[in-house]
Amino acid sequence: MLFIPVTLCMVVVVATIKSVSFYTQKDGQQLIYTPFREDTETVGQRALNSMLNAAIMISVIVVMTLVLVVLYKYRCYKVIQGWLFFSNLLLLFFFSFIYLGEVFKTYNVAMDYFTLAVIIWNFGVVGMICIHWKGPLRLQQAYLIMISALMALVFIKYLPEWTAWLILAAISVYDLLAVLCPKGPLRILVETAQERNEPIFPALIYSSTMVWLFNMADSAEPRNNSSHPVPQQENQGECLRELRNHTPEDDGGFTPAWVNQQQHQLGPMQSTEDSRREIQELPSARPPPVEDEEERGVKLGLGDFIFYSMLVGKASATASGDWNTTIACFVAILIGLCLTLLLLAIFKKALPALPISITFGLVFYFATDNLVRPFMDQLAVHQFYI
Amino acid sequence: MDLSSVFFIGNIMNLERIPNEEKLSLCRRYYLGGFAFLPFLWLVNVLWFFREAFLKPTYTEQLQIKSYVKKSALGLIVWVAVLTTWITIFQHFRAQWGEVGDYLSFTIPLGTA
Repeated sequence: MLFIPVTLCMVVVVATIKSVSFYTQKDGQQLIYTPFREDTETVGQRALNSMLNAAIMISVIVVMTLVLVVLYKYRCYKVIQGWLFFSNLLLLFFFSFIYLGEVFKTYNVAMDYFTLAVIIWNFGVVGMICIHWKGPLRLQQAYLIMISALMALVFIKYLPEWTAWLILAAISVYDLLAVLCPKGPLRILVETAQERNEPIFPALIYSSTMVWLFNMADSAEPRNNSSHPVPQQENQGECLRELRNHTPEDDGGFTPAWVNQQQHQLGPMQSTEDSRREIQELPSARPPPVEDEEERGVKLGLGDFIFYSMLVGKASATASGDWNTTIACFVAILIGLCLTLLLLAIFKKALPALPISITFGLVFYFATDNLVRPFMDQLAVHQFYI
Repeated sequence: MDLSSVFFIGNIMNLERIPNEEKLSLCRRYYLGGFAFLPFLWLVNVLWFFREAFLKPTYTEQLQIKSYVKKSALGLIVWVAVLTTWITIFQHFRAQWGEVGDYLSFTIPLGTA
């Protein structure tokens, strides 16, 4: 059930990487969160720079996660919702505008401003409606996949090589810690939401089915028939019902730096970048709620989509083994996802979806790139078939 | 919002489980929203409520939902016609229009006059 959207997201990212060269060109611009450059003279310097970059990025994420938890604890829901709304806005309009422009350039198609405006306007507004208000589930799922893919593409373009791999590894570790440790921010978030018996954040989680919330009871508790419709009104909006606290998966997070580099002075992006980040960390896979009024479904955070696609996209962009490596990473991530879902069924609590898949993905990437590919090449050279 | 919010929270996938008044309200809002240069919204309206409007046994609000779906479809067809005409004209005459053509273009194909 979750395999199809994850696969679709990865397919979109890989297809874009392979066809639109914009996302693999290194223009020399980097995110503001990764100030150190990797084009240094010595390997040692490069390693140091990439570690510093990753450290900065991770600490930004940690800070954002903490800010989010604090905001949530003090019930500043409006702030959080506004933040998410704004970052979605940015993604749906600005990033898709850039994306569309690059696709048209790649295919050498003439496009006039009027048609373009109509397309972007429609895409963006209907997206905002589906994600933040009410809309058909399939359309909402499609939009979430598209924005995850757009975000992953941004990361692939603007993060230098070693930094990107280090960030992937570090984020998996952080995800693990933040979700499972008793004092982890994400765990606190989840528990707070459970205590208050309310959904966490809408529009940040991909849900495979729709759920009716007649009660907000946690599946661990026996069904309690009290529904709390009123307090939730403001938080509702759209999203998914959270039976289990959903991780606020942010889908925003564009780096202001990037934007600045594009000569757009959009200050408030900072928050989006971060929220996106932290969203990543939030516990992603959740077991289906057990209330009988609901339809079961599994929920995965958008940050997970983004990082999975980023891994596969980077593999397809930079691997010397080309399709071998890409497919190996793809399979690795799906296996990791399978295992995570299995664990979810066993433990029945929020689990981090990143660590297992990303670990497998990284292992497969480096192994395939450095071991399998030369092996296959040598076999081909010597015309030796096995 | 209105009464129906009490019964469900979140996005709607399954139109089955929401009350008819809510369906009507949603259909109407999508229809009205489409007037803001949003033919895509009209398309979503038509596809989503098609079954509700035409393939279900009658209920009180169905007549109105049908009318909204029909009007949305009409609006959609008009938009598609206008856009197709404009795109055809643009693509065909862009090169001949010289400066005006370039001014209107977002991307210009390389290697053509």
